[in-house]
Amino acid sequence: MKKFFILVKKEIRELLTPQMLIPLLVVVLIFNFVGKIIGKEVKKSQVPQPIEIIDLDRSAVSQSVIEIIKKSNFAPNVTIENKKEEILAQARQKKEKAMLVIPAGFEKGIKNFEPQKIEVYNIMRNFSVTGSRDAAILNAAIAAINEVLSNQLISQAILGKDPGQLKRPVLTNEFVMVGEKTANISAAAVSGFIASQTTFIPIILFLIIVFASQMIATSIASEKENKTLETLLSTPVSRKFIVASKLFAAGFVALITAVVYLFGMRNYMTSMTGGSGTNLDGATKNAIIELGLQFSTYDYVLLGLSLFFGILAALAISFILGSFAQDTKSAQGVVAPLMILILVPYLLTMLLDFSSLSPLVRNLVYAIPFSHPFLAAPSLLLNQYQNVWLGIGYLAFFFIVAVIIASKIFSTERIFTLRLKFKKSNFKIGK
Amino acid sequence: MKAVEVKNLIKTYGDIRAVDGIDFDVNENEIFALIGPNGAGKSTTLRILATILTPSSGEAFVYGNNVRKDPDSVRKLISYLPEEAGAYKALSGMAYLKFMADLYTDDSKKKTEAVEVALRIANLGNRIKDKIKNYSKGMTRKLLLARAVMMKPKLAILDEPTSGLDVINAMEIRKIIRDLSRQGMSVLLSSHNMLEIEFLSDRVGLIHRGKMYEIGTAEELKKEHNAKNLEEVFMATAAINRISL
Repeated sequence: MKKFFILVKKEIRELLTPQMLIPLLVVVLIFNFVGKIIGKEVKKSQVPQPIEIIDLDRSAVSQSVIEIIKKSNFAPNVTIENKKEEILAQARQKKEKAMLVIPAGFEKGIKNFEPQKIEVYNIMRNFSVTGSRDAAILNAAIAAINEVLSNQLISQAILGKDPGQLKRPVLTNEFVMVGEKTANISAAAVSGFIASQTTFIPIILFLIIVFASQMIATSIASEKENKTLETLLSTPVSRKFIVASKLFAAGFVALITAVVYLFGMRNYMTSMTGGSGTNLDGATKNAIIELGLQFSTYDYVLLGLSLFFGILAALAISFILGSFAQDTKSAQGVVAPLMILILVPYLLTMLLDFSSLSPLVRNLVYAIPFSHPFLAAPSLLLNQYQNVWLGIGYLAFFFIVAVIIASKIFSTERIFTLRLKFKKSNFKIGK
Repeated sequence: MKAVEVKNLIKTYGDIRAVDGIDFDVNENEIFALIGPNGAGKSTTLRILATILTPSSGEAFVYGNNVRKDPDSVRKLISYLPEEAGAYKALSGMAYLKFMADLYTDDSKKKTEAVEVALRIANLGNRIKDKIKNYSKGMTRKLLLARAVMMKPKLAILDEPTSGLDVINAMEIRKIIRDLSRQGMSVLLSSHNMLEIEFLSDRVGLIHRGKMYEIGTAEELKKEHNAKNLEEVFMATAAINRISL
């Protein structure tokens, strides 16, 4: 066993080279840097945004419009003179986001139930997410103006009635049923909560499997390329230890790499959202608990087992694929089919309702071992424990078979003789 | 007991017979050299004895242990230096020697002794602490040879041991191999440098296109073929056996 750890130590030293660590740190720093910049921009946009308003009506209604705009996180600069061009030029110069023009006769028109038009000038300087966000906020403010004014008009027209009731005579009281449990909550709230809880799981899994596969294939190819494998295999060390140490070290380094990437990504996401996270109100929280949509300790154990065997299966397959590589360059190529096998369930589980797929497609996806860790989290939330256990069993079986094949390759001369052969096609140009 | 016994050994790759029914043996404490041009089957024979390759047919034994049936026992007795061997570039020379010693023994005293022997043979001074990726080809070869013999194996299998070394280093290595043999180590080596072999080996085997044509001491072979050196012996053997070179 001591020799196993000696080999693991050597493998880790070979894998954790400056060439591997420096890009990793650079990516994390870039994530942090970009996250901080975006965070600053988001904070800046949370400060009331200056906006020009030309109030040509100077009425009580136009004043209430200005008040609503103020409440919508804008700092209006109100003018009563009709100098549209001049003020627009000033707004552009002062890098303001928009200008509104409330026409003369606005109040009179509203009171006579005639539709009125407020001119909205959006000054666009870029087409980024933050740029379109300002326009969306302004639209929301206009919607709020419509809501307030229509309520006032309805109150005036039909005395003693609640405008809200008149506008929405049908209300919903939503219930969600998961398995046999029912709770008083909207489907949108449940979906939002589940997404916030499970989004990172497939990303973690995808990253770890991809890193681990590349590392183990590179590790074998590098031994071949640097001509160290023959020496290693002639030493009195069990070849099973050599195989196991490579699997263990690649898995360990992949785990570290994925954690570092996730740390960077988390910082990036936190900066983007301003660290708001998912704060559930009491009623929603109770409904989620009633539906059993929170992971229990048992769920976490099963999820961990599924992820663990998924990684092991990927490592063992990459080991076999890596045996075909003659050098580190070709190692990246030989693991490409595995990447596709991982990408298919990753995208399918992220984008589609798996249960709605045709039986043929569903069984094909089930046949891909890496589908099971991706499906484990939603299955656990839906209390489909049998599916999760079957998935773990399938992964364990797949891993054992792949390790037996990998050990057979390493125990024989096939490790030196296996290679991918591509026949060159002969092109002849005839007369 | 013979250090090595090879009986009708055959190794094929598809239609190619890399080793074609050779027989030879190596006595204890003897330096036996396989000589022949490139592609003669020398390295394939050594790789079979080092348990890297499996013979297609025939038998090979190292101190009575069958390389095919009991490779684990063979690996405990041998040390193998491949022709184009490399070392782990991320490690320093010292770390590499310690790592390899760890693979051979759990006894810390034996480990320390082995590393000291290797340091003496490699003779890299302070550069032993540098990363191997910064070594020249000659320095790496000396380190690898030191690694191959530091555990004082019962049989050292050395494929072109002085390949890539300059004259001074090559002479030094030859002397080391001779001294180790006198201390009780059997050596099976290969080379296409016939002058080197004449100086170094107790007996030689002339191999070409997978077949063994002559075995004997350098003196015996020279006398038999009325030749001045082993190169002339090889040319005479080729002429007798109508081998195209």
